[in-house]
Amino acid sequence: MLPKFLLPPIPKPPRILVIVTVIGTTFALLPPAIAARMRSENSREPRIHLIQDMDNQARWKAQQANSLFADGRAMRPNVEGTVARGELRTDDHLERGRVIKEGTEVWADTVPTGLEVSEAFVRRGQERFNIFCAPCHGWSGLGDGPIHRRAQSLVDGSPTLSQGTVWVQPKNLHEQIYIDQPIGQVYATITLGARSMAGYKAQIPVEDRWAIAAYVKALQASETVAETMIETVATPAEEN
Amino acid sequence: MGRYHYVFPKWSNLLLPGALFFGATFPLYAVFVVAFGFSPKTTDVGYMPEQPIPYSHALHAGELGIDCRYCHNTVEDAAHAAIPPTQTCMNCHAHIKKDSPLLEPLRESWESGQPVRWVRVHDLPDYSYFNHAAHVNRGVSCVSCHGRVDLMEEVWQEERLSMGWCLECHRNPEPHLRDPALVTNLAWKFDGEAEAEADYHERIRDQFAVNPSQDCSTCHR
Ligand code: HEC
Ligand code: HEC
Ligand code: HEC
Ligand code: HEC
Ligand code: HEC
Ligand code: HEC
Repeated sequence: MLPKFLLPPIPKPPRILVIVTVIGTTFALLPPAIAARMRSENSREPRIHLIQDMDNQARWKAQQANSLFADGRAMRPNVEGTVARGELRTDDHLERGRVIKEGTEVWADTVPTGLEVSEAFVRRGQERFNIFCAPCHGWSGLGDGPIHRRAQSLVDGSPTLSQGTVWVQPKNLHEQIYIDQPIGQVYATITLGARSMAGYKAQIPVEDRWAIAAYVKALQASETVAETMIETVATPAEEN
Repeated sequence: MGRYHYVFPKWSNLLLPGALFFGATFPLYAVFVVAFGFSPKTTDVGYMPEQPIPYSHALHAGELGIDCRYCHNTVEDAAHAAIPPTQTCMNCHAHIKKDSPLLEPLRESWESGQPVRWVRVHDLPDYSYFNHAAHVNRGVSCVSCHGRVDLMEEVWQEERLSMGWCLECHRNPEPHLRDPALVTNLAWKFDGEAEAEADYHERIRDQFAVNPSQDCSTCHR
């Protein structure tokens, strides 16, 4: 208790007034407390949106849901068996990696005309390879990417934890049979997949698929170049 | 006693200072509550809806190191960053953990052709226009606007996404700029002195002539 002379000589207000003031102050602290809590935590609840303005209009953004359609997609997929205007792709070399040589259809061993194999093109291929292929085939194409390692450890581990994992190792792209494959065939593998590898037609545009194929060929060449370099470097050392 | 009956009691002297105090503090209080409580930091940031499949960016993009563009493959070419279709997941999950109960909605979608109903996290008002390609190709990383998604088990909204927030960066984009090849590397930090860092950002700005517009028609078209 404060000493008497410090207390102003004011008589006590009625109890009811004191109670109302205390309760009022307590309630006034609630909104900031709730707000502070909402700021500090993530929330499952939909965002609070008091003033709607024109925030949600009767139009649809890409990939939004629209209950007018049975499958709920606002973006309508192509009708099966139809081709959109300008989408008729008939260039076999560009689209399928196939060319006619001496009357028979074979894998193309060149990049289609219209695509220029420059350093920028191969660099683009490298970047795309690192995005789309490296998770499985590894950054140097040896078939040892992080997805392969994880999947293999699931297969090797307890069958209950692997939950049905079956895994074929992604191919080492430096094996002789892949070095011998024409670029058109590599392109076709990227487009359509091969056995247990899925195709990347939907994810990668056609020019980028050729860029990746060109990069795979460059990668294979770099490996052989590196090997011959090591040999030439290593041989004199042994002679000494 | 009777003649003092209608005189205010002594404690009523408290009412005047009390009312003045209330009158002075209440507007401040009201402004504080509205500014603090209705800011998008309170109402929007931290929104983390429950997704139909407990898909984890921390596992796929972080631990396994899959590039953002493997799934969000339109982000460099289009306004919209595509949410991957079921096919993209099946590239791996046709083989990996293919019987997992967590992936049941994925298998259902694969068999029926119906899309997986992912719940949208980030959502600008429909009258505003945003473009991913314009940002990503100029070296603005995902991390500037979405936070460390590669560490999130579930995606939540990290930034306000208000007009003030957009303009803050459009006025001074430099600290957010980096080599466009690094935009999906969310852990990247400039390694070096503060001065060298400022130089680096300035170089990128000059190289791509980055000059974000603050005209209303840029974002309201
Ligand atoms: C999800 C993992 C995965 C990804 C991503 C992947 N592959 Fe494969 N790839 C495989 C597997 C698994 C095989 C082996 C298929 C088999 O033998 O059943 C394979 C095989 C191949 C082959 C050999 C095909 C043949 O004729 O035998 C080539 C070439 C190839 N991949 C290239 C690529 C390229 C280029 C990319 C990037 C666009 C890529 N792969 C992305 C898993 C993957
Ligand atoms: C294996 C595929 C995959 C990869 C790789 C991936 N994402 Fe996603 N991402 C998804 C899926 C599926 C969703 C929708 C479900 C969800 O919100 O969690 C999503 C949602 C998001 C969202 C929220 C979208 C919304 O609804 O507003 C952001 C932001 C995002 N991803 C950013 C990233 C970033 C940044 C990276 C790279 C670090 C990345 N993603 C890598 C599949 C992927
Ligand atoms: C490039 C390969 C790859 C892609 C693409 C991929 N995942 Fe995965 N995912 C994995 C691997 C590998 C694991 C297993 C990790 C572990 O448990 O060790 C996994 C695990 C999971 C799990 C946990 C399963 C369980 O039972 O523990 C879920 C859920 C999942 N993924 C969902 C998705 C969804 C949804 C997509 C599509 C947006 C997707 N994944 C795309 C490689 C992939
Ligand atoms: C300049 C800020 C900014 C950057 C950089 C950015 N985003 Fe976004 N992102 C947004 C905004 C804003 C939205 C909400 C768009 C809307 O509602 O129309 C969004 C939405 C998304 C979505 C949901 C689908 C959509 O387009 O609405 C995904 C997925 C996504 N971003 C992924 C990414 C990835 C991956 C990157 C990096 C490669 C990235 N974003 C970079 C601001 C950004
Ligand atoms: C982290 C920085 C940053 C943030 C945050 C940001 N922007 Fe940008 N924005 C940029 C940069 C950098 C450019 C590229 C300017 C250039 O090309 O000169 C840009 C360009 C744009 C463009 C393209 C302009 C054109 O010329 O086509 C639009 C539209 C845009 N921003 C809208 C938005 C909106 C809407 C938001 C908020 C949701 C936003 N931005 C948030 C940095 C940012
Ligand atoms: C960099 C992009 C950008 C630019 C430039 C921009 N805006 Fe906006 N504006 C937004 C976004 C995003 C929103 C919606 C987010 C929000 O509600 O704050 C918005 C919201 C608004 C709103 C509605 C606010 C509300 O909450 O009701 C008005 C009005 C508006 N803008 C006017 C303008 C005017 C006028 C200009 C020109 C001086 C302008 N904007 C320039 C991005 C922009």
